[in-house]
Parts: sequence; C-alpha cells; structure tokens
Amino acid sequence: MTLWDMQKNTKATIIGLNDELTKMLRTRLNEMGFVPGEMLTCMRRSPFRGPLVVQIQDCVYSLDQQLAQHIRVSP
Amino acid sequence: MQNPKRIILVGKPNSGKSLLFNQLTGLKQKVANFPGVTVELKSGRFDDFELVDFPGTYSLSSISSDESIAIDQLRLAMQSDTTALIVCNLDGTKMERSLVFALQVQQLAKQSNKSLVFVVNMLDELERFGHQLDIPALSKQLGSPVYGLSAKSLIGVAEFTKALKAHAAFPQDIPIEQVSLDAAQSMSLAKSLASEHGISQDIVLKQQNKIDSFLLNNWLGGAVFIAIMFFLFQSIFTWAAPLMDAVESGVAWGGELAQAILPAGVFSDFVNDAIFGGVGAFLVFVPQIMVLTFIIGVLEDSGYLARAALICHRPLSVFGLSGRSFIPYLSGHACAIPAILAARTIESPRKRLITMVTVPLISCSARLPVYALLIAVLIPSNSYIGGWINLQGAVFFALYFGGIFTALVVSKLLNTWLEKSEQQNDLPFILELPSYRLPHWRPLMYKTFNSAKQFIRRAAPIIFVVSMVIWVLGYFPNNGDLNNSFLATIGQFLEPIFTPIGLDWRYGVAILVSFLAREVFVGVLGTMFAIENAEEDMGGLAAQMQADGFTLASGIALLAFYVIALQCVATVATLKGETSKNRYSWGVFVAYGLLAYALSVVLFAILS
Repeated sequence: MTLWDMQKNTKATIIGLNDELTKMLRTRLNEMGFVPGEMLTCMRRSPFRGPLVVQIQDCVYSLDQQLAQHIRVSP
Repeated sequence: MQNPKRIILVGKPNSGKSLLFNQLTGLKQKVANFPGVTVELKSGRFDDFELVDFPGTYSLSSISSDESIAIDQLRLAMQSDTTALIVCNLDGTKMERSLVFALQVQQLAKQSNKSLVFVVNMLDELERFGHQLDIPALSKQLGSPVYGLSAKSLIGVAEFTKALKAHAAFPQDIPIEQVSLDAAQSMSLAKSLASEHGISQDIVLKQQNKIDSFLLNNWLGGAVFIAIMFFLFQSIFTWAAPLMDAVESGVAWGGELAQAILPAGVFSDFVNDAIFGGVGAFLVFVPQIMVLTFIIGVLEDSGYLARAALICHRPLSVFGLSGRSFIPYLSGHACAIPAILAARTIESPRKRLITMVTVPLISCSARLPVYALLIAVLIPSNSYIGGWINLQGAVFFALYFGGIFTALVVSKLLNTWLEKSEQQNDLPFILELPSYRLPHWRPLMYKTFNSAKQFIRRAAPIIFVVSMVIWVLGYFPNNGDLNNSFLATIGQFLEPIFTPIGLDWRYGVAILVSFLAREVFVGVLGTMFAIENAEEDMGGLAAQMQADGFTLASGIALLAFYVIALQCVATVATLKGETSKNRYSWGVFVAYGLLAYALSVVLFAILS
C-alpha cells in the first residue's frame, strides 16, 4: 500500500520511494525523514482528497496525493 | 576602513534562527551586499563583525532553482576569505531533523576549512518539558563547540554573545577535524545523536496535536479559518484607515507648504502636482501594507499560516495553484506588489509563476476609490432585509468576487496552456507543520518596517518617472489647463477606442492616466469636470457625471474594465523583476488590458 491509503490514526513503516519521484526529490524526502524502515503515523485526513498529515520522527508534515501515492508503506 | 569579517548564520526553517539573529544584531539591519545576489540576505552588525542570516533551508542539496541559488550563495560565502566563522542553529525540540542539516553544514565548513559552532536553540521549551541537554557530551561527539540557548527567553544568550566574539576573533582556535561522512553515515549519526540527546517527540508534539485537532478539524477548522480571514480583512480596511488618512494629510500638508514657499509658476505646479500629488498618492498605501504584513507575520510566526495553506491546498489545486498561493492572493487585496513578492515561498516554479501572473486580478485597494465613485454614480443606496443588505455594498462584494473569480479562471487556463509550452518540472506539495509558538515582537517589527521599505524602493522610482511624464503631458502647452493639454489631444485622438463603451474623451484621458495607477482616475475626472478635491467631494463629481448623461451600461462596462485591467506600472515592474521575462510582465499587462476592453465592449453592447 502507499502512504495515501493510510487511515487516520494508524501507523505504518516506510518501505520505499517510487522512481516516479525525481532523484532530487527522493534525496530531499530522505533528509526530511522519509527513510525506509522509519515508522510514521497518519494524524489527519482532509475531506475531498485534500492533503493528509503525517508525523514522522520529530516532525509533522502535510503531503498531497500526488506525493503520498509514491511513498510505499506497510502497516 | 577594511571590510568587517563575516559570521554566517544558517539553520533549518522554523528553528528560531531569525529571532537569534535579531537578538544578536538588534533592529538595525540591512540587506546584505553579496556579489550577484538574488536571494535576499539579511545582515546586521555584531560587535566588529557582520552577521549574515541565510534563508532557512532543509538541506544543502537543492530541489528548486530558487533554493539552489540560496545554496550556491552559501557555498560561495563559506569559501570567501572574509568569512571568519559559521554558526549553525539547531532546533532543540527537533534534534534529529536539525542534526541532519547541521552535519551537512559541518561537512561543507570542513571542506572550506572554516571553523563552526553549533547553537541549540529553544532551550526554554526543553526546560519546560523537563529535558536536560548534555551540552559537553554533544560538543565532544560533534567535534565542534556547542552552545545551548533560547533566543526567546534569552537564556544563555549573554554567554553565547561573549563566546561568539572570542570565536570570531580567533577562529583558528577551534580545531577542524578532518573526518568526512557520506550522506548515509551522516543520517545514521544524526539518528543516534538525536536518540541520545533529543527529547521524546510525543511530549513536544502533544500540545501541537491538541491544537491541530481543533484548528484542522473538518468543520470547526473551516469556521476558524473564515473567522481569521474576516478579521484580517477588517483590519486591512478599518484599522489601516486612520493611518492612511494621516499619511494623506501629511502629503497634502507638504504640498501646500511647498506651494507656499516656492514662487508661483511651472516649478511650483510641478512640485505640488507631480511630486506630492503623484508620488505622494501612492505613499497612502504604505500603512495598509504594514498592517497586512504585521498580521500575516503574526499568523506565520505562530504557525497558523502553514495550516491555512494546508486548508486551502485542495480547493486551490483545482485551479492549478498550491496551498501556498493562498498568502499572495490574500495580500493582493491590499496591494499586488507585496503579494507578488510573497509568491517566493511557493516551491513549485510553475505554480509560483501562475500565482504571480494572476495576483494583479485580485481587487487591490487602489481600485477602491474607482469602485466607490462609480458605485455612487450608478447604484442607488437601497437597503433590504431591514438594513442587513445594502445594494451598494452588494455590488462592492460582487466586484471583489469578480476579481477572485477571474484570477482563478485565468489560473486554470494558464495551467492548461503552460503544460504544453513550459517544461518546468513541478514539485509536489509537502509542508512542515511547525509547532505553535507565541510570536516574538522583534522579527515582527523588522518584517513590518521592511515591507514598507521594500514597497517604496520598488514602486517609488517608476511611479516618479511616469507621474512626471503624465504631468508634462497634462500641463503643457497651456500651462495647467488639462482640458486643452497634450493629454486632452491624445484623449480626443483616441476617442474612437472609448466609443464602443459609450464614453467620451474625458473618460478616455482618465482611463489612460490611470494606467499609471488606478486611483488617479477619480482625481483626473474631477479636474475634467472642474470639481476641486474630487477625492474628498466624490458626491459632487458623482452628481456632475449623472447630469452629464453617464449611463448604467457604460458604468458597468467601466467597472468590469477596472476589475480586470492591470493599470499599475509598479506592478508590471515588480512582475518583470520577479520573472525577468517581458512575456510575464508587459505581456500580461497587454493581455489583461485587451481582456478588460473586450469584456467591457461586450457588456456595453448587451446592456445598452
């Protein structure tokens, strides 16, 4: 499954980032904490397929579908 | 005198870096003068040194073109001989993320053979959570001096100031370890150091999550958002009003004084009309921009603005915009110039461009006097539902809505059109939601005054030149008789253009002149109808226009024209400065002009 499939108040572990994302973007996501093996929590989902909110390590991020659907996670 | 040595301050966004910078340098700051600089760097005096604040970045590997410019600047500055020391600021409540960046900076400093000190900021929050930071141990593990402080509560700032002076004077005393780490090693080191020294995330984020569950609630969050926006609008238009009046009377007083001192004649007329009338008129918007910047600053520093961008992202993405486009659109209701500059925070180059190009369609406050005059002429002041709805007020609302609507439609069109012609790789939306914090007055004051300075610096020269040209055309050859001036001749020559909207050359002249800045429309029309102080006595002018046979159809066509046309040279100049393309400045100017004209011709044809 991908990050975009996560339900509110559930946890998952990052498996990897899809190649559809550019190399630069993947590096940036790594630096922001989106590293395989890292645990994240889905804090919030917005109505009408709006951005979701996740907590990863010490930061809270908001991502839209375009990005979240390229981050693979396992529950 | 020799140039002072530089100290470079770097850090992640939202890490308390700007506040530390403000505490170390005081409020006297300037924009740092770096060769070929395109990003704005703040610089201030610290002891005998120049402290330079680099914009907050997450990483030293860039992702957008603007970011890479900032990072290249940082690399250059680090290598420069005038740089004595590098200070890297860390957010003590977010150790892991801060350390990932800090270790990158340390690597770069080593490569440039520069000494570096770390500052762990936000110590007050750590203490509140009962967390004790082992600074000597952290310093040993990192191999560079580490200082703990809170720029907000000033814990440790005095000690750091003293230490910084010593370090900057003798940077060679800090050993530079020649150990290099690759990206993966850096990240795992950051992780292990953070788990050893950092505070448990759940404690820090507990309060933030509690507030978020209220402010980002699907229903309540929307209501709070609307309430905050309503408050913001109120403040731009009502709080700023007395300040704007004060500036206006100040300028008028200056004009009268100049007229009293100078001997009557061309020069006196020039000073009074072109300098005080033309350049002075735009100073009126400075207080409004300051109030707007102040409130947006409070929202930003408290952490709410990131939430507002999140709330707006979905609706705006329908039109090809980002949640971050919300702030420029909001600011655009006061003035397009700060709004276009605010678009810099949009990370996607494509969405940034679309935002900048559509911001001028938002009804800025310079359109207000024109709307007010035309509404007074055309629309009866009828009230409905016991005074709750006023017809004139409703028309005002419709005009503002028309501006937003057009901006969104044009965004949508640009989004479709740009897909083919512009191969700009788009960046998806990712936004850190920072912790909620009480804003500190120092950076807020700085931002507020800086916005006024920026606005004047960008707009004043161009307004000055254009008002001079217009003044010359309107004054000669008959020394001040506008009705028989070059400008009137041009207006009469161009009259056929305005006939399809049912307007004669006098309105034509007023429209032409208002391409300099819309608000002069009222004053010029007043001169044409020989009403002194038309800005004050709008009722008199309105009565004259009604008696003159100004029709409803022309009025509505003219209103539509003013909603859409980009009649502001300063905005065109700002667009040109930000996009460095004629296509997106003068091209946009022509396109909106034609669109406005076409729409008003169609409306007039339908209505008359």
